[in-house]
Amino acid sequence: MNALTKLIAVETKLFLREPVSLFFVFVLPIGLMLVFGLPQRGSDTGSAGQHGELTFLPALALALTIGMLALFTLPMALGIYRERRVLRRLATTPVHPGLLLVAQVVVNLVMGVAGAVVTAIGVRFLLDQSSPANVPGFVLAFLLGVACLFAIGLLIAALAPSARAAQSIGPALFFPLLFLAGAWLPRDQMPTVLARIGDYSPLGATVDTLAAAWAGESPAVPQLLVLAATAVLGSVLATRFFRWE
Amino acid sequence: MPVIEVEHLHKRYGEKVAVDDVSFTVEQGEIFGVLGPNGAGKTTTVECVQGLRRADGGSVRVLGLDPIRDRTEVRQRVGAQLQESQLPDKLRVREALDLYRSFYRQKADIDELLADLGLTEQRNTAFHKLSGGQKQRLSVALALVGRPEVAILDELTTGLDPQGRRDTWDLVERIRDRGVTVVLVTHFMEEAERLCDRLAIIDTGRIVAIDTPSGLLTRVGTEHRVHFRPLDELDDSLLAALPEVTGVSRSGDEVTVTGPEQVLQSVLATLAEHKVRYAALRVEQPTLDDAFVSLTGRHAGRAAATQPPTDKRSS
Repeated sequence: MNALTKLIAVETKLFLREPVSLFFVFVLPIGLMLVFGLPQRGSDTGSAGQHGELTFLPALALALTIGMLALFTLPMALGIYRERRVLRRLATTPVHPGLLLVAQVVVNLVMGVAGAVVTAIGVRFLLDQSSPANVPGFVLAFLLGVACLFAIGLLIAALAPSARAAQSIGPALFFPLLFLAGAWLPRDQMPTVLARIGDYSPLGATVDTLAAAWAGESPAVPQLLVLAATAVLGSVLATRFFRWE
Repeated sequence: MPVIEVEHLHKRYGEKVAVDDVSFTVEQGEIFGVLGPNGAGKTTTVECVQGLRRADGGSVRVLGLDPIRDRTEVRQRVGAQLQESQLPDKLRVREALDLYRSFYRQKADIDELLADLGLTEQRNTAFHKLSGGQKQRLSVALALVGRPEVAILDELTTGLDPQGRRDTWDLVERIRDRGVTVVLVTHFMEEAERLCDRLAIIDTGRIVAIDTPSGLLTRVGTEHRVHFRPLDELDDSLLAALPEVTGVSRSGDEVTVTGPEQVLQSVLATLAEHKVRYAALRVEQPTLDDAFVSLTGRHAGRAAATQPPTDKRSS
């Protein structure tokens, strides 16, 4: 096995030994779905607006899974690796420490996809929600959403002065993003300016494009483009500012 | 051919000069010590040797290679143990070795390495459950897992208890016995004295002296001190008249005679000749601590204590 596959294998093991991350990825999204989804569906008020769409909650659950990995788990893991001089230690070997970053991203991505699949299956059977209708659109939206959120996570890892800082910046960013996505107050009830910002915010755009594709519509192109642009910008800045020690 | 050649190395961080015209060579198969207080420039020097930092001036050759230009090749052949470097909490000993082993062309036998370092019982223990000494030994094992020709060990015994420190010293000697050239960075005089074939004393970025431990002692001419309590009448001038003796003094019952290494023999012979019985004989030999003070005008331990801890990493 070469160094990268070995690093990925080891990082996977380490991820699976962390009960908190497993909970974030595989349990929390479905739990939230059930808590928020069941009463709403049961009441069947047929309310209009964002929260009335049947695909909103499932899309939010997927975005939540990815968002927590990208903004909580990834920056914290990288912050700890820098703080404990794991990256520095790796620099003394023939392997570039960048490979450890690649391995971390790969593992978090795979876990994100696995979590999304588990959540989607849970949604399918527990909430009796049909499978995504527009599959290519759904995959595209999912990939761009993942790329965008992970780029932001990497940027946090690059800029946070310590692991502890990374640990607080993630949530400090995550909850406002969740708000902008319309998790609490539907965007159609927000002031227009706030709602437009929400439409193009990382989580908002991810939720909307996922929800649209799930319902069988085409995801909005401007939102997809903003996700892609944020992904590129975030990765470039993260690469530019990343500190190895 | 020397294994490591450093010539006129210069390195500064902004305005602060960390390494100022350092030159030395390390020969095949020796334990070479880099000794000095914290913040003296020891770590910066070896980081330039490892290719972790680019020198501002001078040249560094390791196994005939340039550590910056031929970095991958140098890293294949030089194992390093870093000051204060850790591993992920839940990584197990054997997994860590297996991982690092995959980075190298030459691969050590893991079970043999575990046995050598006394970690066989801990092979399935997670990193955060290891004791300080075990973590340190694992760190050394990782430095050896690629069967390096040179091992650079930085502040190996800092934070270990006296027993752990002695065990680690035995370990360093075993590494050398495997034919690995060892560069040992330390601020413990005792450690350098016990282990090193030759050592460079660095202070404020400059080399103060390079020699064998005994050579350094001879060079600074520090004297032995013989203390004893005479049980019979003794005329001090008998001792003072001996050619080797440089001084005789009394403090209460105790007589102290100073002089070079041979002073003990002369004093004992004189006491026997004049039938003077004695008790509580002890000899104080000069230590590297004395040599360091004499060479730099400062005490290494004290210099270390006044360094702010934040300076440690850039040292």
